[in-house]
Amino acid sequence: MDALVFLISGVLMTASALLVVTRKNPVYSAILLVVFFLLTSLNFLVLRSPFLAVIQVLVYGGAIMVLFVFVLMLLNLTEEELDEKVEPGRKLLAGAGSVLLFVLLAWAINSSDRIQAAGETDLTGPVKESVARAGETREIGKALFSEHILPFEFTSILIFIAIIGAIYLTKTRRADHRRTAEPAVKQPEESA
Amino acid sequence: MTLSLDLCLYLCAAVFSIGVYGVLSRQNIIVILMSLELMLNGVNLAIISFGRYFITPEGSALSGTGASSSQIFVIIVLAIAAAEAAVGLAILLAVYRRWRSARVSDMRLLKG
Repeated sequence: MDALVFLISGVLMTASALLVVTRKNPVYSAILLVVFFLLTSLNFLVLRSPFLAVIQVLVYGGAIMVLFVFVLMLLNLTEEELDEKVEPGRKLLAGAGSVLLFVLLAWAINSSDRIQAAGETDLTGPVKESVARAGETREIGKALFSEHILPFEFTSILIFIAIIGAIYLTKTRRADHRRTAEPAVKQPEESA
Repeated sequence: MTLSLDLCLYLCAAVFSIGVYGVLSRQNIIVILMSLELMLNGVNLAIISFGRYFITPEGSALSGTGASSSQIFVIIVLAIAAAEAAVGLAILLAVYRRWRSARVSDMRLLKG
């Protein structure tokens, strides 16, 4: 049953991911990305990580998506700006490259003995009590604040720097107002 | 019907490759950032499946650390993804204000 859920949501995940990267209008991409995040959270649940499933919905489905949709609203791109004018050769090359990457990854997965040995164990099957605890919030909290306290602190510093950077980058200075007042300033050409 | 590790990893590889395709083929910076999130999600799922498989009652068989290590990894990746999205979108806003364009090929000031 669990495996079936994983398979179905996996297929839907792949489909929604494909739609995210192919839709022309980024608003559709954003909505499909929410669907993708929710399906990922379902797969986290199947893999017995309930805490991460909740965090996935909160952080990705909530915070990050709000950021994306907010920026979409602020930019307010016109029909003409949304036209990406990607030449078909570039798309073909990108497609070939990513298919090649997938084939390489699949080959690596297929030829690894340790991963193939896992084929005999059911990831969704019942586990020993001590093992099942690993995904629990209490255990994660204990590990996070004892064994992994250093990476945790570094992450907090990183987020602090990111906040400062984001505020600094989006702050409007007076010079910027003057520049944007001119109609559609193009990038200087003298760099060529 | 059993769910094996290689099945999970195939899904992760597929999601990651789709993200790579998005980054390579699109021109709109917002969609490129979304594709980056797709790639990070594929990696997260891979970490969780590895942690789920390489687990012993004493802890993780991979690194000799506690059993919850894979979960901690994913939490940190998540935090970094959030920071990356915030800074990336801030750069996009600054660039758009300056040049009125959200296309990557219009940003060639740093091109050699």
